[in-house]
Amino acid sequence: MSARTLTDGQIVMRSLRARPLSTWITISMVATSVALLLVLLGMRSAARGAFDRGSGNIHLLVSADPSPLVAVLNGIFYANSPSKPISWAKYQSIRSAFPYQWAIPTQQGDSYRGFPTMATSADFFGKFEPVAGEPWKLASGRFFERPFEIVLGAAAAKGSGLKLGQQVFLTHGSGASREGGEPEEHAGHEHGEFPFKVVGILEPTGSAHDRALFVDLESSWILHAHDRRERAGIEGVTTSADLEDDDRKVTGILLRLPTRAGSDASAAMQQQFDTLRRDTAIVVAQPAQQIQKLFEIVSNVDGIFIAMAVVVLISSALSTMLALYNSMAARTRQIAVLRVLGASQGRVFGLVLTESLVITMSGALAGIALALLGGIAASAWLKASIGLVIDPSLDPRSTVIVLGGTVALGGLAGLLPAWRAYQVPVADNLRPAA
Amino acid sequence: MPASTPALTIRDLRFSYPAASWALSVPHFEMAAGEHVLLVGGSGRGKSTLLQVVAGLRELGSGSVEVAGTRMDALRGAARDEARGRSIGMIFQTFNLLHGFSALENVLAALMFSSMPAAGHEQRARTLLSTLGIAAADADVDQLSVGQQQRVAVARALAARPALVLADEPTASLDPENTETAMDLIQSACRAEGAALLCTSHDPAMRARFARVESIDEMIHGGAR
Repeated sequence: MSARTLTDGQIVMRSLRARPLSTWITISMVATSVALLLVLLGMRSAARGAFDRGSGNIHLLVSADPSPLVAVLNGIFYANSPSKPISWAKYQSIRSAFPYQWAIPTQQGDSYRGFPTMATSADFFGKFEPVAGEPWKLASGRFFERPFEIVLGAAAAKGSGLKLGQQVFLTHGSGASREGGEPEEHAGHEHGEFPFKVVGILEPTGSAHDRALFVDLESSWILHAHDRRERAGIEGVTTSADLEDDDRKVTGILLRLPTRAGSDASAAMQQQFDTLRRDTAIVVAQPAQQIQKLFEIVSNVDGIFIAMAVVVLISSALSTMLALYNSMAARTRQIAVLRVLGASQGRVFGLVLTESLVITMSGALAGIALALLGGIAASAWLKASIGLVIDPSLDPRSTVIVLGGTVALGGLAGLLPAWRAYQVPVADNLRPAA
Repeated sequence: MPASTPALTIRDLRFSYPAASWALSVPHFEMAAGEHVLLVGGSGRGKSTLLQVVAGLRELGSGSVEVAGTRMDALRGAARDEARGRSIGMIFQTFNLLHGFSALENVLAALMFSSMPAAGHEQRARTLLSTLGIAAADADVDQLSVGQQQRVAVARALAARPALVLADEPTASLDPENTETAMDLIQSACRAEGAALLCTSHDPAMRARFARVESIDEMIHGGAR
């Protein structure tokens, strides 16, 4: 066992332990503000991640929406139903005009209990990946293989409570829908003649697609052809044989251009983007570019939140400074004694500065732990409640910056009390107390 | 330190507080190694001030102060602090122990600023405390009796094997019986460690304990004090 000595570190820790309430309050304040800052930065990063998920391996998105940003918000994030359709002939002409890797038609507009429906082709599950490099996975059942089969996104399945084998009726637009049985009289926009059978439930992808239900494109066409025929007074069940060219509509086209092996980028991207843009009947969007634009819009808002968290952090540093500064009045004799024993002014300055750094470093580490635990709890809750997959881990770069910034603030906060300790008049503080 | 080197040599010292009407003036004052000197004078006569000047805690106006061969007045900042920690031990009327620290840690505090190798600190501290009758070295000083606290203060002053111990009114708050005990302790400990002792007191009864007694009144010039 090594011989005992007294070290600067022990003196610092003893001073902190001599003021437990003040020490714990200041550490807690620093921890709370660091955790708040990290959570906000993490949320921004997670939100960015969540928006990045969903467009997956799409290069271009074509729709008839008013703008590329609206096209992305509607077509990938299900913000609203696209207002204008694209004809099947247009889809075919686009697909045949260039050797795309794939061109997947989509149609939106129907819903089930507020969950949006995406009608599409089998390629949507076979070729499109909601997250690049992460193909669709089934939690149970299978993908649809024929009309009037429906596959549920993870959050939609959880939110609706639907199980494999159950029947559902879709609603035109976002009105109320019901489960199984005969259509209700008051369900004006419900496609009550056509029950869909749940055949598959998807694993969560952490994207907006988790909230959607997926059906075969032809089913959707039949629903709307039936509406048309009803309006025309034609009776009887509508089948695919009754479809006319005007019934075959899509609201979006997901495009992937040819790429080199091992690369996600396409050399033809800009040229093809420009070519499609010349067609005034459609809009064409590069999802990644539009998501960036969206983040530029919202970054002002989260910048305000982050600025508020930084202000809280600075406030906690000021509290540290005040706590230390006020403690100096009661410690002048201790400092004078240390000076008599041989401690230099610089060493005393360093002791007080170290106290400030220990407080802020402890607070910062506790804050990181708090943010991590909070992130794990929030992530588990989000996944369990709405199926949203958010990575609870802290961004290493943000964490290092926050840690470094907090320690730097701690150093600054310690300067004034340390200067006061530096200037303690030794002889005057050794006298017997009056 | 060679045995022939004086523990303290003061030459042509002048010190005065700003705006004060009096000044300390010491043309020559010397203490041999291991010598015990009593500095007497009434309260507020400047005895403590002289000790603080010797310890380098106050800047002298002119002259020189040499402790164990080291010119304290010529040193500045950390160098002076280090010299004080190495060569001078101080005992105070109210002990000035570090509260919240154990008896052992109070003595170790004196050693951490000394030139003594760290490996020997604990043994040196425990030996001193044991010699001075402190069995509970790891007890917090606040849990010790007043007499025990004084022993810790003496142990701390002697820990770094200083050439000179400055005792500033060490018995001012004690009754006559305890004064005898405390002075026996301080003087015997200083003798055992070979340290010179410059002790201040306003108590005339203390004179009998010292072979050499100096009066602060002879070192004051000017002003009615």
